[in-house]
Amino acid sequence: MDSAEGRGRTLDEAIDAALIELKETRRNVDVKVLRETPEETVVEVSVIGQSPAADSSAAPANGTAEQARGLVEGLLKHMGIRAQVTVRPGSDPSTLDISGRDLGVLIGWRGETLRALQSVTNVMVGRSLLEGERIIVDVERYRQRREHTVREIAMRAARQVKMTGDPITLDAMQPFERRAIHLALEGDPDVMSGSIGEEPERRVVVGPRKPASE
Amino acid sequence: MAARAAERIRKAIGLVNSVADGAGDEEITPTEIAEAIRDCLEMTEVDRVPNVRRYLGESLDAVSDGMPADFVAMTLYAALGALQEGGPKL
Repeated sequence: MDSAEGRGRTLDEAIDAALIELKETRRNVDVKVLRETPEETVVEVSVIGQSPAADSSAAPANGTAEQARGLVEGLLKHMGIRAQVTVRPGSDPSTLDISGRDLGVLIGWRGETLRALQSVTNVMVGRSLLEGERIIVDVERYRQRREHTVREIAMRAARQVKMTGDPITLDAMQPFERRAIHLALEGDPDVMSGSIGEEPERRVVVGPRKPASE
Repeated sequence: MAARAAERIRKAIGLVNSVADGAGDEEITPTEIAEAIRDCLEMTEVDRVPNVRRYLGESLDAVSDGMPADFVAMTLYAALGALQEGGPKL
């Protein structure tokens, strides 16, 4: 995985500096804040999305992922949807990328249809999966983009919490999005994240981390 | 209203997906998921559209039998889909 360190006065400047070095767009990278002071922000930007052209040079996908790919391809055919299904190289957990035209119908309201498709896929290949192993299904990198977006939201919220000291409640999110936020902030010594409310209106709250002595 | 029933089914799906996705921000037990599904079954709206009660019953059985979260989710999505196809637009 390619990565680069970026520095700037603001978070955006630091990310842009790393993106220029990597010759990548924000859509294909993951951002980790290494240091943030009023004078300077340092980030590590890692490329996580590989272009389809790079697929051929990647390591072969594992058998279960290939089996799932074939099943999803067949399912889409039965649904009358013309789309290409590929196994994302090097992905862990194994991820199937569905690409094609007008695939909004496969994403559905707040990604509901996509999530249902993923559940069906995991049930279909369930017997071939190891304990705890899962297949992730993504359509036009919707899920990946959502994860990036919520991570950026998390970082902005964390900056605001550090400045004001007040907790921030984010919009209602899906479990995988909340998980992405918790993971993005778990290493931050100054802020912490938790969740409130009930599904499907469960929201992440980002607040100042209390000292251990309290 | 079918919208209310859909909301309850979505709540149950959300709980199951939290387990499947490992959201890690809530301790969810099978009892809680079963309760959420029973809440759906208590609604009279689920009888107005064919198959919704059947799918909900199957998902409750799946929870009782310790089936994987994805299986339970799939059955709940089937209930939601039936409700959406058979009822007014949600």
